[in-house]
Amino acid sequence: MTRASIRDRSAVAHAAAREATEREPRHRPWLGALLVAGVAAALGLAMAGMPREHAPLPLIARYALEIAIPRWKLTEPVNEIVYGTRGFDTFGETFLLLAAVVSVVVITRPREPRQGYFGEAAAGAREQQQDDPNVGSDATEEEARSAERREQGEQPPSGAEPVETPDATPLGTPAPETAEAMTVVVRNAVRVVLPILAVAGLYLVTWGYSPGGGFPGGAVILGVLLLVYASYGRRKISKVIRPGLIETAELAGAGLIIMTEFLGLVFNGSFTANWLPLAPVLTPLSGGVAQLFSAAELIEVGTGLTIAVFALLGMTHDWARDDQGEPGGGGRKR
Amino acid sequence: MILGNYLAAVALFCVGLHVLLTRRNLVKIVMGLSLMEASTYLFMVSLAYRGGSTAPVLLSPPAGKTAKQLAHGNVADPVLQNFCLTAVVIGVAVTAVFLSVVVRIAQHYRTLDADRVRAMRG
Repeated sequence: MTRASIRDRSAVAHAAAREATEREPRHRPWLGALLVAGVAAALGLAMAGMPREHAPLPLIARYALEIAIPRWKLTEPVNEIVYGTRGFDTFGETFLLLAAVVSVVVITRPREPRQGYFGEAAAGAREQQQDDPNVGSDATEEEARSAERREQGEQPPSGAEPVETPDATPLGTPAPETAEAMTVVVRNAVRVVLPILAVAGLYLVTWGYSPGGGFPGGAVILGVLLLVYASYGRRKISKVIRPGLIETAELAGAGLIIMTEFLGLVFNGSFTANWLPLAPVLTPLSGGVAQLFSAAELIEVGTGLTIAVFALLGMTHDWARDDQGEPGGGGRKR
Repeated sequence: MILGNYLAAVALFCVGLHVLLTRRNLVKIVMGLSLMEASTYLFMVSLAYRGGSTAPVLLSPPAGKTAKQLAHGNVADPVLQNFCLTAVVIGVAVTAVFLSVVVRIAQHYRTLDADRVRAMRG
């Protein structure tokens, strides 16, 4: 092979690679750089005037540290601030989170009502095969359809396929393993880690040790669910992760938060005030309303983030009309 | 010097802003927003730092200090840590909203180029 032909080949390969990766368009980079430089200068100047590491603590921080134990019996001042001193603010943030989750649900929703986050294509299969879903089929039609299916060697579209779990694969089976799941090594590691992770997260929330209580706790719950999803595949979690269950739990959490804060107004004269008796320090009930709020936040954040993530992951339904038959479309014509 | 942290936060914010202003790929724009978000976390945690301080936990103060003394200075600022905690969770949810919008745009327009998403053009 001559040197020239090698060069030709590499040029062709380069061109192909350039075509395969998406062209990266930019938008007035110099104007952008100028604006960013201006913002950087303004922010840099502002930073020079910020309090440094030897400044005294702000009054609100000192106040929160002083009242954490006497008024709330909490040894974790961050928790006391989140659910006590700044409880009303956290209340607002919670409903900002709820609004974001509702937006995700609205944006990602498919046309058909669904049971789970995945498998939308199968859910509408029965209706798609009928001319008019509202007209029931008679015996002749059923017979014709079953004959047709037999001819095509298809399974009946009833969703009655045997549920295969990756754990049913015997050890030593050559690859590929069950496609949805990860290897046996990962699955066993996850099996060992999961209970530890879940219990540790819940423990920290229950005893009020974790700064922020339910917020990080909820993120741990999401982590546990995602680990199961990633290592075992979607079928393992389809019983738990379905909109009917977790959306209900999310709204129950929101309702519990509203009730917790509102009862303060009823019993103690102000929204977010404590109305529960305070247990001694370092017991699960030590924070009074703060711990109840934290537990409700655990439900709210855990389910809210789960809904957001799985709604995104299950976003497969294609709404685009593809009439022009553009390249790379692959959609059905309607 | 905590000022270095502040300036790093500013730099991070500006990188995100530059991505936002100059890139046209919607996923990169969302990434730019996430960078700007992350810069605020860095800023708030740095602002909470106090030289030679300890974590704001009243359970067992370091030797020779009482819980009362902790309240009068030598701890990191718990209020800013609280801001950061809630901001992280809200940030995740808001990013999820952005990404779901981006996926719908990609499905509808078959492009991620923000400049080609103009339904009202011509």
